[in-house]
Amino acid sequence: MEHWMKYFLDHPFWFTLTAACLVWYSTITVYVAIRGVFDIRGMLKRLQADAPDANEDAAG
Amino acid sequence: MNMVAAFSIPIDGSIVGLYLIATMVAGIMVRKYVGKVEHFLMAGREMNVYLGIASLAATEFGIVTCMSQAQNGYAYGFAGSTPGICQAVAMMLIGLTGFCIKPLRDSGVTTIPEMFEKRFGPRIRWAAGVVIVLGGLLNMGMFLRMGGDFLVNIVGYSAANADPSAGPAMQFITTHALELTMTVLLLAVAVYTILGGMLSVLVTDFLQFVVMSVGLIAVTVLILVNVGWDKLVTTVDTKYGSGAFNPFANPLLGWSYVLFQILLNTAATLTWQTTIQRLLASKDTRTGRRIFTGTSFFFVCRFLIPGLWGMAALAMLAPSDVGDKTLLAMPKFLATVVPVGLMGLLVAAMLAADMSTDSSYMLTWGSVIYNDILAPFRKNRPPVSEKRGILYNRLIVALIGVFLLIYGLWYEMKGNLWDYLTITGTIYLASMSVLLVACCYWKRANNWGAAAAIVVGAIIPVAFLVLEKNWMVTNAAKKEVSWLSENGITSAIAGLAAFGCAIAAMIVGSLLKPKSASPSAAEPAA
Repeated sequence: MEHWMKYFLDHPFWFTLTAACLVWYSTITVYVAIRGVFDIRGMLKRLQADAPDANEDAAG
Repeated sequence: MNMVAAFSIPIDGSIVGLYLIATMVAGIMVRKYVGKVEHFLMAGREMNVYLGIASLAATEFGIVTCMSQAQNGYAYGFAGSTPGICQAVAMMLIGLTGFCIKPLRDSGVTTIPEMFEKRFGPRIRWAAGVVIVLGGLLNMGMFLRMGGDFLVNIVGYSAANADPSAGPAMQFITTHALELTMTVLLLAVAVYTILGGMLSVLVTDFLQFVVMSVGLIAVTVLILVNVGWDKLVTTVDTKYGSGAFNPFANPLLGWSYVLFQILLNTAATLTWQTTIQRLLASKDTRTGRRIFTGTSFFFVCRFLIPGLWGMAALAMLAPSDVGDKTLLAMPKFLATVVPVGLMGLLVAAMLAADMSTDSSYMLTWGSVIYNDILAPFRKNRPPVSEKRGILYNRLIVALIGVFLLIYGLWYEMKGNLWDYLTITGTIYLASMSVLLVACCYWKRANNWGAAAAIVVGAIIPVAFLVLEKNWMVTNAAKKEVSWLSENGITSAIAGLAAFGCAIAAMIVGSLLKPKSASPSAAEPAA
């Protein structure tokens, strides 16, 4: 514990930023991974409903 | 240090193969939802927050980022991660305030030049498209090469390691490892990008975000455990002193570097086409802004994590193992420290990072070519059918892939990779950010100012790139060096000049145009 305190006190900015990166990345990955699945399912459902008619074929 | 790579074909190869199959299947399966050009380019503007965060994070972290930031960590210590902090702050502030991105998303355009047409006219739209593609493709030109270099070095299949006693097939593979890796990488990305467009890109980005994140965290923890925080800090402190922690105290960085990074990263947040494509593909403006704030801290990780890998390479490799190829120090180091099993995860993670970046970039520059550069040539012709429109876009993406392969093999990278990326990006970031801010918030801005800003903003970085490579002199140490760097004209100075001159050109050009002659009478979009 003591040496971690020393690392922090030596370079508080970079030590905190590195720790924050690891914590943020590991938590956000799990959260985004779960919520992202629902986003993909919703997006594909809406796109299926928006499928173009065979007659409707013109674009700019 | 033992420089033999730990890649095991049965174990690591299976992990990589499994990842590749999953990605390809997911990417190709969603192609059936692509029925319109808008589906191909913008995923029908149906993207929600978490998919947006995953996609933006995966797109903006490629092997090229990993290599360049590891090189910065190796060369400057922690101070090399300064650009990440600048970009994170810019993303957060712009997401919270909606500065420029709110009017941009509200306008319902597909690309930034399309918005410029409403204010500055069709010629400015076309010119903006040209500089965006010029800067974007030159910037992206190194992506495939860096992907190939990383993978070849980390797996250990390079010409230098060729075994003369091996069979002819194995000898061919090791001798042409770089070219083969680049080609396979390109083909894998091109197949699903060409078939499914943005939809495939988003779905594969999501998978790639998960694989990439797990790999990045695992390898960083491994490095911190094996090398140790104390050793990293002591090494950079001994080598670079206070300049390793403070960019202002670093003689190779300093005020000009930090100021340029602030401007560049703010401009990239506002106008970098891959970032903006996520904003424009989001289902509404609020979602777009939430994607910006939600992804902002990721940009610190994007720079600091590979920076730590580079510092670990500095701590663990002998200078003779690296030579002057500091770009390859990190993959060489990882090849020796990452064990079998984790190596497969690392390669899969880096493949994921690279494929998500390449696919998004190919699609995004393709969308500008189709929408803004080629559109004027279709104006007086019958409308293009949706099917034909998708076909044209697929062809453009394929051609960009061919360009990447040729440019990556031909262009010889000298000096710092991040400097190359920033100066090529500046070709359009300087002028496009000025145009966007003026378009949204300055009533007097007009097409004269816009044209002047585009020309000036592009000429300075292009001139820097050409002169730096071709204007060589012999210095006091009898070494051939660039005249520009010898005289203190760094990429940061050239970049700052480009931004400053683009702002001045927009103001002077707009004020010089008589008010009555203005064809762009539209009010600011905000």
